[in-house]
Order: sequence, then C-alpha cells, then structure tokens
Amino acid sequence: MKFAVRTTVCRVAAPLTALVLAAALSSCGGGDSGDSSNAKKSVTLWMYPVIADQAASDAYWKKVETDFEAANSGIDLKLEMQPWANREEKVSAAFAGKKGPDVLLMIPDQIPQYVANGSLEPVGDVVEPDKDKFLPAAIPGLSVDGKVYGAPIYHTVTTTMYNKTILTKAGITKPPETWDEIKAAAPKIKAAGFSTLDYSASPEATLNLNFYPLLWQAGGNVFADDGKSVAFNQAPGLEALTFLKTLWDQGAIPKSALSNGNVIADQPLGKGQVAMAFAAAPADAGTVAKTWGAANVEIGTPLTDKKQVGFGLPGGLVLNAASENSDAAKKFLSFMIQPAQLEGLSKASGFFTPRSDVKVVATDPNAAKFADALQYAVPGEPNPAARQIMSFLSAEIQAVLTGKKQPQQALDDAAKQANDLLSRQR
Amino acid sequence: MLVLFLVFRLLPVVGALLLSLTDYRLSGTWDFIAFDNYTRLLSDGMFHQALLVTLIYTVIFVPLTVLLSLGTAVLLHQVVWSRGFFRGVFFLPYVTSIVLAAVIWKWIYDAQDGLLNGVLGLVSIGPVDFLGQSGSVLPSIAVTSAWKGFGYSMLILLAGLQAVPKSYLEAAMIDGAGTWQRFRYITLPQLRPVLFFVLVIETIGAFQVFDAMYVMTGGGPVRSSYSLVYFLYDSGFKYFDFGYASAIGLVLFLIVLIVSLIQRRLVGRDD
Repeated sequence: MKFAVRTTVCRVAAPLTALVLAAALSSCGGGDSGDSSNAKKSVTLWMYPVIADQAASDAYWKKVETDFEAANSGIDLKLEMQPWANREEKVSAAFAGKKGPDVLLMIPDQIPQYVANGSLEPVGDVVEPDKDKFLPAAIPGLSVDGKVYGAPIYHTVTTTMYNKTILTKAGITKPPETWDEIKAAAPKIKAAGFSTLDYSASPEATLNLNFYPLLWQAGGNVFADDGKSVAFNQAPGLEALTFLKTLWDQGAIPKSALSNGNVIADQPLGKGQVAMAFAAAPADAGTVAKTWGAANVEIGTPLTDKKQVGFGLPGGLVLNAASENSDAAKKFLSFMIQPAQLEGLSKASGFFTPRSDVKVVATDPNAAKFADALQYAVPGEPNPAARQIMSFLSAEIQAVLTGKKQPQQALDDAAKQANDLLSRQR
Repeated sequence: MLVLFLVFRLLPVVGALLLSLTDYRLSGTWDFIAFDNYTRLLSDGMFHQALLVTLIYTVIFVPLTVLLSLGTAVLLHQVVWSRGFFRGVFFLPYVTSIVLAAVIWKWIYDAQDGLLNGVLGLVSIGPVDFLGQSGSVLPSIAVTSAWKGFGYSMLILLAGLQAVPKSYLEAAMIDGAGTWQRFRYITLPQLRPVLFFVLVIETIGAFQVFDAMYVMTGGGPVRSSYSLVYFLYDSGFKYFDFGYASAIGLVLFLIVLIVSLIQRRLVGRDD
C-alpha cells in the first residue's frame, strides 16, 4: 500500500515539478531587460477582425507594422489579433490584472466605463493637429467630458435594408421609409406570409442597433443633457415603444425576436423571412446577398419619424493608462490616423474612413448608399452606466412585447432603476 | 496535494471574500466598504429575481436529470450485449460543448422553424414559443441541460447498480417480491450513497447554470431565465463591479452549502 502511494506521488510529482519550472522559466524569459537606453520600446496592439477577410487582414496589418517600424526604428510594434467574442471579459480581465496591451480598439460605448475606472489615458494631443479633418461625430464620439480618449480609425454606419423579393410578393412598390409607411405595409407583408421588420430583443443585443435608433427617430434621447438621469421614458420613448408594440401585436416582427441577437445569418432576416431591417451595416448586406441574391438587396436611407437618424460610430485606438511606453504608443496612434493608413483600412475592411479628406473609391455597389447614410449617423450616447441601463431597458421592452406591462409603465420602471444607478455613480 | 488545494481552491475563495468587502475598481484602486455589498445585495430586486429563477430551475432540473440518469442506468443494467455501445451513445452529449448543445437546442425550440414545432404541427399543435414564454423557458433550458449532462450521473448510478448484491435480489424474488418492490426496497436503499452523490453534484450544477441561458435566451424573456451566476457574470464583466460580483459568488456558495447539508440530512448516510 505504502509502495503504491509512493509510486503514485512520484508519478504525479515529477511532471508537476517540470510544469512549475517551465512556467517559472517562461515568465523570466523574453524581451529586452529595459535597462539599456538603446533597447527597443515595445508597443502591443490588440486589434479585432475589422477586416473580415483573413488574408486581407494579415496583409494590411503586416504592412502597418513594417511601415511604422521603418519610420520609428526604436519601437517594436507587436500586433495581437483578438476575436470579437468575449472581448469585454478579456479586456476587463487584462486591465484588472495590469496585463493589458498598450493600445487597443474600442468603440464609444465602451470608453466611458474604462475612463471612469481610470484605465485610459487621454490622446487629445494625438488628434489635435488633424482634428478639423475628421467627420463631425468621429472625435466627439470617442471623447468623455471634453477629453479625447480614442484616435478614430474607421467609421461605421447603419441604415435600412430591404428584401426586394418579399416587397414584390407583398405588392409593395416603394420600400417603406417612415414609421407610418411601415405600419401601412405590415398587413400586406403579413398576408404574403412574411414578417415586416427585423428586431433583436434579446437582452444580449445592444440597444444601439434596435430600440435606440427608434427613440432618436422619435426625437428623444436616452440620457438627459447632464447625463445624470435618463430621458427615455418621456413622450418620444413612449412613441417608439408603442410603435414597436403595435408591430409586434400585428405579427410584423418575428416571434423569435425575443431571443435574437444582433446577428443576421441563421435568423429570420438572413433566412429571407423578413422584409426589412432598419439598422443594417455594410457587412450585413454582404451576408444576406448570399441567401437573398445580390439583386434582391436594396439599401435605403435611415428611417424617419420626427427625425431621420441612424446609428453609426467611430472605432478608435485607445491608450492604456498603465502602459509603460505611452510616448511610443502615441507615436503609433499618430501614424495610424494618417490618410495612407486609413485609406488602406477602409479599402480592406469596407468600413468608412473617419477623415473627410480621405476619399475611398468603393467597389461595392451599395457602398455609395451607405456613405449617404453617414450624414444621419449618431454615435450613441456614451455614459459609464450605459451598458447596465441597456440591460434594465431590454428587460422592460421584453415585458411590453410579451404583454406583461404597458409601454409607459415599463419605461418608468426602467427609468427608476436607471436613475437609482446613476445617483450611485462614483 | 495540500499545497495545490490551498493555492487553487482555498486561496481564490479567501481572495473573493476579501474582494467582496471592497469596491474594487478596474484601475486597481479600492476602498474597504465592509458589508455594504451584502446589504445592497439583500435589497437588490435583481438578486431576488435571479435567486428565484435559479431555485425554480433547480427544482425542475435536478429531479429531471436524476430520473433520466436512473432510468437509463436501470435500462443499461439489464442490457447484456452492446452495453458498451449504448453507454457510449448516452455519454456522448456529456462530452460535447454546452454552447454547441445550446445552439442546437435553440434551433430545435425555434418558434418559427424549430424541429419541435414542426413535429407538433403534424398533430395541429402550436407553434409554441418555448424560449419566449416565462412559463416554458426554464423547463426548456432544463431539458437541454439534462440532455447534455445526464450521461455522467448515469455512469455513476450504473456502477452503483452493479454493486447491489445479487443475492439480495434473488432472495427477494424467492420471497415473491415483484420488480417494483425489489427496486423500491432493495435497489434504492443500496443505491442511497450513490444517489446522494448524484443529487449533490447535480444540485451544485443546477445552481451554477449560466452557459445555456446566455446562449439560448440572454436571460429573457423579462429575466425569467436570468440565473444567479448570470447576475454574477454581468456584475463583474459587464459592469466592472468586482466587489459586488464577489459578494454574489459567496452568497451562492453559502446557499449551495446549505442545500447540500440538507440533502445530506435527508438522503445521506445514516451513520
């Protein structure tokens, strides 16, 4: 018995010891000591697949790395591609453990939370020389309390997208462009056996791509001007939620919307069961073209109620406040926002450039229509509590759709939770 | 072994306890706030909702999984040939990813194109929005999780069944006991320690439900599938309220511990 135990211990101890030693040695090795003043400074960039095509992505970022290092011989740029999935968890864990990159990509939605936690460093000095050359929403969208935290490298836009086959089968010759036109078209589309409006009501779906554009179109806002309370439970919010509820009760929104996220493929819109979407991005047009047929995809302008508004935001490179090479990192940011880099990124990704002095000739036939929608793009309403407030509102919207609450009650309940949270904000 | 236990088990729990007494921020700064997180938790409606959802889910999932595991174990115990094949088939879902299983079952449950509604449609029932109704969402997710996880408990119960002395069963047969009587008065009592183990691990698993809900419903509709772990996940990773999330984790640990002790009292050994 003792021999068996000893043998087992030996069997386990040896490889375990080797593992611990290997881990210890690997943490000691790599990189320069940092003691020598001649040592290269390292800048780590976390980038996400903004360029969907893998080969194009590799080629573009390789060129960025080569060109930047050629122009900055004392800096070693390390690019680490990250998946979109679970990026929030990974980023927050990295920042909490002081292991984050020097530079990473963020959107306006994310920045306020990290700023509130002291995790990001302002980069206003980086964009200052060229600030007049950016689109109106580009720099403000990446700013918090007047300080710029992101260097814009692309701009997204969303707008309406129609399935021409469904509209034809329903006998609708002109795609609905206003809320009233959608309500009028819904019965005809339903009679033809389809749903009218794509909507993602899952609590995991961002409201920036479903409820908020409707709220803005009704002339409302999520937050009051001072950001210390919410405003979505006022008349425009009620109008937007009532519009949604009306369509739901008519059967104009797919019933699976309650668990649908902001993904086109394998959901009713992608499967050709819904006539239109109101927050479609250029990549979505490419996705549905595979199932609908490219000739049946029609891109329109953002929907109109009291205002014509769509969601579109800048993506920007932010600087980790814990970076040990912030000067080198800022040099990289300055490099990335130059026309050559932004033009290349726009061509490879299909996203728009945030600079108004950079014109990209697009090969996609729908690109011009998406570009037209840029003028109506709102980058959202960033707030440190934005994501938590989205979760309150999502649940209440579901309560309305499932008949558990009336729209005003639901909005007021969500507003109460949101205002309680905002009053506790540090 | 003790060192490993201390480092990988005890230390994180102590760390979580200390974290729960602070308002730790993403930047690494924190203030000691004593039990503020716990008092906030007790008055948080979201916590009450998540706890209720978790309890209801547990009440549905545990008996379902135990009965399914026991039933298949009893059937397998009677199979003589190809038992290994059937054992492998029943165990296969256990080794698949819960995310994959949840995605597949989401398609099965789909209100418009789902397989289940297709079958129900053949007998003029539905369509039923399994994942879109408060009354059906938890049973639907419980079925998914039970399908995915019953194989493990089935193997444990099968081992337990094989350990029941045949002489007891033969003696009972000679005395005229029927199949149900033999199962009820001989097999089940002999299975008690194994059954207790299965109950405890399935209960712990039920209290930790998150993945299936995240993938299939996002916690909806109207938070009727928003579990405690989902609440913990949102608090920590979405809202960066690490101290509060730690407090949720510790309360969950206490709840599971109390439930396990109750189970031990009711189902565990008498000695």
